[in-house]
Amino acid sequence: MSSIYHGEDRVPVPPADAERFTTVCSYCIVGCGYKVYKWPMGKEGGPLPHQNALRADYRNQQPEQVGTWISPAMHSVVTERSGRRFNIVVLPDKDCVVNKGNHSIRGGTHGDVLYAPDRPTADRLTHPLLYRGHSRLPTTWDEAIELGARVIKATLDTWGPDAIAMKCFDHGGGGGGFENNWAVGSFFFTGIGTKMASIHNRPAYNSEVFASSDAGIAPLPSAYLDAELADTIILIGANSYETQSIYFLEHMLPNLGGGTLPLKQQVLPEELHARGRMIIVDPRRTSTVAVAEAHAGKDNVLHLQINNGTDIALLNALSRLIYDQGWHDQDFIIRRTNNFAAFQQANLAQSLDEAVRLTGISKSQMMQAAEWIAKPKAPAARRRALFLYEKGLIWGLKNYENVASVVDLALLTGNLGKPGTGCGRLGGHQEGYSRPAYPGQRPPVNVDDVAVKGGASKVFWVAGCNPVGGTLNAQQFRASLAHRTALVNQALDATSGGSLDEKVAAVMTALDKGGLFHIVQDIYPTETAQYAHLVLPAAQWGEMNLTSINGERRLRLYEKFMDAPGIAEPDWKIMARMAQQLESAYRAEGKAEMAARFSGFTWSSDEDVFRAAAAGVKGAQEDYGDTTYAMLKVLGTNGVQTPVQGLENGLPVGTTRLYMDEKRFTFIPAAWPGFPPQIQALMDDPRYPFWVNNGRANHGWQTLYDDARKPYVMGREPFPHVEIHPQDAHRLDIVNGDLIELFNPYGSVSAMAVVTDSNAPGHVFMLFEHPNGWLNSLTTDYVDPATTIPYYKGTKAGIRKIGTMPGLNEQLTFIPTNQA
Amino acid sequence: MSDVSRRHFLKLGACVVGGACAADALPSLAQATDGGDITTLRTTLPYPRMKLAAIGQLIIGREQLTTYPDQASPVVLVKLGRPAINGVGPDRDIVAFSRRCSHMGGILNFRPGTGTFHCPLHYAMFDAQKGGLLVIGHATDNLPQLELEVDAAGDVFAVGISGLLYGRQANVFA
Ligand code: SF4
Ligand code: FES
Repeated sequence: MSSIYHGEDRVPVPPADAERFTTVCSYCIVGCGYKVYKWPMGKEGGPLPHQNALRADYRNQQPEQVGTWISPAMHSVVTERSGRRFNIVVLPDKDCVVNKGNHSIRGGTHGDVLYAPDRPTADRLTHPLLYRGHSRLPTTWDEAIELGARVIKATLDTWGPDAIAMKCFDHGGGGGGFENNWAVGSFFFTGIGTKMASIHNRPAYNSEVFASSDAGIAPLPSAYLDAELADTIILIGANSYETQSIYFLEHMLPNLGGGTLPLKQQVLPEELHARGRMIIVDPRRTSTVAVAEAHAGKDNVLHLQINNGTDIALLNALSRLIYDQGWHDQDFIIRRTNNFAAFQQANLAQSLDEAVRLTGISKSQMMQAAEWIAKPKAPAARRRALFLYEKGLIWGLKNYENVASVVDLALLTGNLGKPGTGCGRLGGHQEGYSRPAYPGQRPPVNVDDVAVKGGASKVFWVAGCNPVGGTLNAQQFRASLAHRTALVNQALDATSGGSLDEKVAAVMTALDKGGLFHIVQDIYPTETAQYAHLVLPAAQWGEMNLTSINGERRLRLYEKFMDAPGIAEPDWKIMARMAQQLESAYRAEGKAEMAARFSGFTWSSDEDVFRAAAAGVKGAQEDYGDTTYAMLKVLGTNGVQTPVQGLENGLPVGTTRLYMDEKRFTFIPAAWPGFPPQIQALMDDPRYPFWVNNGRANHGWQTLYDDARKPYVMGREPFPHVEIHPQDAHRLDIVNGDLIELFNPYGSVSAMAVVTDSNAPGHVFMLFEHPNGWLNSLTTDYVDPATTIPYYKGTKAGIRKIGTMPGLNEQLTFIPTNQA
Repeated sequence: MSDVSRRHFLKLGACVVGGACAADALPSLAQATDGGDITTLRTTLPYPRMKLAAIGQLIIGREQLTTYPDQASPVVLVKLGRPAINGVGPDRDIVAFSRRCSHMGGILNFRPGTGTFHCPLHYAMFDAQKGGLLVIGHATDNLPQLELEVDAAGDVFAVGISGLLYGRQANVFA
């Protein structure tokens, strides 16, 4: 049996004259700073400090933690459009206050995902592809744009704007940035004017935290500094060691270990300080729980192992316990909030006995949590609690009330706008949202159901996401997409050698009969692209300049350091080309009003779009005002925390923490709603005895779009894993590495078993996206009717053993990840 | 180093297991104009051959701490008591690894119960039985594993290392 590893035992060091760029990790919300070094193949720096760009002495061993080291996964050799080859090293930046030189397994492997024609990234999309001859074949930008624009225009003219549906990235970082987001929004909202819009990971165009914004709280109100100052950090539905890794390691853990006591003393000299405590609400004993315990001692960590979907009952019970003890912040409630009576009536009515029964958490554990959150440190000193939540809560039972119940708890205890407090998202991807307003209503239309499965739209443009695996109830989604796109395939097959006019006419006939014209814009040939008629190749992170903010609103410039492959272009340029084509088509017809809607896409640089996008963030947490690329270059990986207050000495002045003013907030009533009918039906059916929770894992990012090209990731997880309790595994005759099937009336999926007691018996956890098994084939079609956000995190299924895959048990590791 | 071809094969081979990347597309797409990069990724200096232990003296689960290929590189040799990837000896259970975490160089502790190495800095965990595979944590590669040989007298020698040691540009100093 051989081992899985990257394997090199040497890396080239950048020579002293290597080109340097600054950037930020392309992956998670934390936004760790990186430096990029680039130099021609065939050259190499020497081991003496003056012989290399890192100024490191490689004649000797570098010291632990503070040394300068290039791991093999941080290096690659790329080939640019000119044919010239360059070494590239993407190294964590010690000067960045976010990561201080640290990195996660995801950010530390950027070398592996740079486009190189002789590495696994060789399958990047290099040219537009057009459905032709029953396959997808390379074509020119001119043909791709002309055909796409003509189908879009004919559809728009015949059926109106809602006949064009889209599902697009709205990310910062690797997925987009302010530049690409502004262009996408301008095209679909100003240009097309469609309501059939949806965001990359969900069926509608919505905020994931409507309840928080209704309460008056932006999604990212606090700073990472607050995690160093808090008395108690409450993580809800987040496995931060694996998914906000460096925030957890560099800012939360030091507090739990007592390392930030001097800082607390210095910033808040008036009150008593102790090492921080942590409460973790999660149905699973995660590695985060284990690492927190190992670092802080078990006495300082409280894991509330909640039953799937019952967060509202728990959070309201905590509010009630705190209120009954008189530990609420009366002064804050009076001065800074409205609507307390409605909260009192809805949330505080939660019966404690019912909460214990629903959540599976004992009264004494709830009381301990209430104490850690709100029992005053001294008569006049309230505890400083920092509430941080993510997908476990956001994608829980009922999105609106789930988020409202934590927001209310934070308001009840006065934890906003003070050092060491806050209530916000941890975040998944980075943010870079700036778009003209979405023309639809709230709650927004369910695009999966209405536009795709329901047939209301005729064109479906997917950019930077992979919904055939990632959307809810994905098996039904795939079936519908396959059926409707096939009608267009047949129409196009019948036009071999035909003119563009004939092709467009054939497509329009097929659309009229229920067909769907499918455009995919991405960096890789995703599973969703397997259904496309037109595939548009985009540039990725490092191949254009972009800007984004991290989870504490830190805005930075991510510099371009290499060419995009083939003739791929940044997303904003693709949108602009399509818009310009439509503009001139309408102008040629004398339709000035329509032409005007597609005008204004005349940007000539990344920075032009950045400046245009400033209009879309005015007054928001992202507001970057008059900031320019040149200013961001000066500020490097530390950037500036938005909102930008103004310029001083030619540089933007930012905001560390929101709501230090006297802003008023609103309590949002949120009573325990019970389970929706789809879930209740599964709960009542003995054929589906297992609760299926799901989420991301440390080594993978999102849909694994990059990771599928990282041998070290796919080698260790060739099939998605399912954590199953030893009792359940024993009963079903399942051992580590067995292939199993999970099934319910919505679909079925196969996965690889990992036997561990991280979940309670009867509960399993599955990796949520993997090209060899999509968990979402099992999720129901339920969405919160108030927000159109799905209950992704809970479904029920039966489990059956398929068999044993030879070699897996011998080659992969099955040591539980939650024992630090 | 003798083991180049195996290494290069594995690097792409793992990708084939996953079936998710177009391995067959790789060689044909290469369009290097000034190729030859592969050799720069391997140590060009020879590894020393060094005796680490005598088989007869090993006790299951007990660490032998030493250094390899030089004094600045702490390593650990252990007889696991069950067959291991790249294990040597009659039971194929003797393995040796760098003790510097392949994340940022923390000095690892061994737990015989699980056969795992643990890092006190950021809690990475490596599986000694599975070639030093990262169980969880933020290292970007396996724990570097020593290539071992056993001679006729039952002495265990280190002859090379798979993977780059933390804090070095090449495993063997010039
Ligand atoms: S913690 Fe997030 S931002 Fe930092 S290196 Fe890892 S993936 Fe990148
Ligand atoms: S140095 Fe070992 S986990 Fe970071």
